[in-house]
Amino acid sequence: MKSREEEYKEIFIAEALEYYDALNRHISVLEKQPQDDHTLAEIFRLLHNLKANAKAIGYLQISDVSHKLETAFSLIRNKELSFSDEVVTVLFDGIDMLGDLIHNIDNTTAGDPDPVLLRNLDIIVDSLADNTIELAKVQRYHTSKNLSLSDLIYIQIKKLDNLMNLVGELIIDRDRILSISRELDNDELKNVSSHLYRITDDLQYSVMDARLVSIGTLFNKFPRIVRDIAVAEGKVINLELAGQDIQIDRNILQIITDSLLHLVRNAITHGIERPEEREKKGKPATGNLSLAARSDRENVLITLTDDGKGIDLKQVKRAAIERQLISAEAAKGLRDMDALSFLFEPGFSMAKEVTEFSGRGVGLDVVKNAIDSIGGRLQVHSEKNKGTTFSMRLPTSIAVKGALLFEVAGIFFGIPLIHTDHVIAMDIDELHEVGNVLVADIKGETVTVVYLHELLNAPEADMRLGDKSRLKGIVQNIIVVTYNNRKLGLIVDKLYRQQDIVVKPLSKPLDSIDLYGGVTLLGTGKVCLVLDVPAITRNFINRR
Amino acid sequence: MKRILIVDDSFYMRTMLKNMLTDAGYDVVGEAPNGQTALELAKSTNPDLITLDVILPDNTGLDVLKGIKAEQPDMKVIIVSAVGQEVIMNEAMEYGALSYIVKPFSEEKVLEVVSKTLASDG
Repeated sequence: MKSREEEYKEIFIAEALEYYDALNRHISVLEKQPQDDHTLAEIFRLLHNLKANAKAIGYLQISDVSHKLETAFSLIRNKELSFSDEVVTVLFDGIDMLGDLIHNIDNTTAGDPDPVLLRNLDIIVDSLADNTIELAKVQRYHTSKNLSLSDLIYIQIKKLDNLMNLVGELIIDRDRILSISRELDNDELKNVSSHLYRITDDLQYSVMDARLVSIGTLFNKFPRIVRDIAVAEGKVINLELAGQDIQIDRNILQIITDSLLHLVRNAITHGIERPEEREKKGKPATGNLSLAARSDRENVLITLTDDGKGIDLKQVKRAAIERQLISAEAAKGLRDMDALSFLFEPGFSMAKEVTEFSGRGVGLDVVKNAIDSIGGRLQVHSEKNKGTTFSMRLPTSIAVKGALLFEVAGIFFGIPLIHTDHVIAMDIDELHEVGNVLVADIKGETVTVVYLHELLNAPEADMRLGDKSRLKGIVQNIIVVTYNNRKLGLIVDKLYRQQDIVVKPLSKPLDSIDLYGGVTLLGTGKVCLVLDVPAITRNFINRR
Repeated sequence: MKRILIVDDSFYMRTMLKNMLTDAGYDVVGEAPNGQTALELAKSTNPDLITLDVILPDNTGLDVLKGIKAEQPDMKVIIVSAVGQEVIMNEAMEYGALSYIVKPFSEEKVLEVVSKTLASDG
């Protein structure tokens, strides 16, 4: 794992080398136009930064030489030192020495800076306007200078985004070419396209890899944050971190940053009890908070677990009834899991008091929406007096998603695998009409099932989601999806296969249809709509 | 969460400051490497506090301070600068900077000055 120190060092060296190159450029200009104030100011600024940065990171030789040069240039700027040939030579040498020191930061065998040169610098700095300064001849140690470029480059994330989009386009075309080559049954074309297939795969993974950062860059911020909140709230907390080495797309990490902060704050303010309260319950006085990441095939799983008081389900139900999300009658029979899902309803809050750190009117729905927006999944488990766990299942990449392809009424659809639980075939007799919906017993659990064709295509007035006569055939293919702790079975006409797809957002005027997360082109050239599981689930619930 | 804008032409310094401030629970709402961006971000992000390096490209540090103070007179500004810049620092205090931090700085010092300045009446 890259520690923060290593990260600082890389940044320092990259920036120092940039400064060194700029210094060389500017001093060459200055040699020709000694009175160029703008160039002098630039040189001064660069040396000034180099001095401050080197001092901060602890490269004292670099900061010392920068300081001497900075002083010399400020004397020149104030016309207290003339930019004579002898002075110019010393300054050039000094800048070269800086370059050497920067290049040799990791080289322990590199000797100390040339003492003669250092003395020369001291002479021009200290002798001020003395015209008769005598400078010792310095054997210029750069008889043949090596040009070297930094091994590290900065790149704007925007450029990587663009690269990723282009790779996405390429993959769509590649799949199309592969499909055409099969149709044409031309061996040469088949060979070329299978090679194309492999290299675009490699390309895709290389680009994805370039965007990866370790989760530690985010996790390592939490010890301090947890400490501060705990102190303010009068809690004693031990934070455990795990899986900092796990890699994830930088943009995904950026998007979940606020969410994670929110959940951690909640866990400390509302979850973990004060030491005296914990001891009364027979728990250790120190609360435990664990933040862990692990990777699971295509996904990254982040869990936040506290051993606090857990979420009070009675209170959740009461709040849900007050907000008229559910009737008091229905609340009685509500399963714990379903009750917990109310926590993610917009504006749902149980916080009685606003503290400095939580409960500022931002609910868990904001967290949920952030996770939804990147195609992730958020789940919560809670047990009274034992604690609460939030799990986020996140894709490692935004652009490419594993999806399950199927057909409804002759149109191709895809569902991101992250939302699919399993696929099951059922006899129509195993579906039961209950109220105005269909339900089925799937793996011992009663799951609401909906015919996707009816939900998507039936006119509003004639929609009959609980009517089995609308189904075709005897055997029904059902994809079970999960969203917000709720399972929903989607009946589809035909199931195809799993495939990595590149999801393109819908453009205007179709972008207002929120049932679809986007669209992709299949190898056959057919358009495939990608269902947005959160939106479908919400849509279905609203209809009931 | 208090919102802070960092103005410094060195990426290294910005990264260090940003890490120190975010670790301490502040929200770093923007980073400006030059005067022009600093003025734009001061206006668009309207932070609770700005840390301002006075030596910026084209020597615009003090101009940035004046520009910010002209548009947002109550804006809290802390000067961050290396030793040897006492003259500019004093001038900056006259133009309305509330405090200063001398590079190289310790995390404790930065957090102390920032929290004091945020708590002050300006």
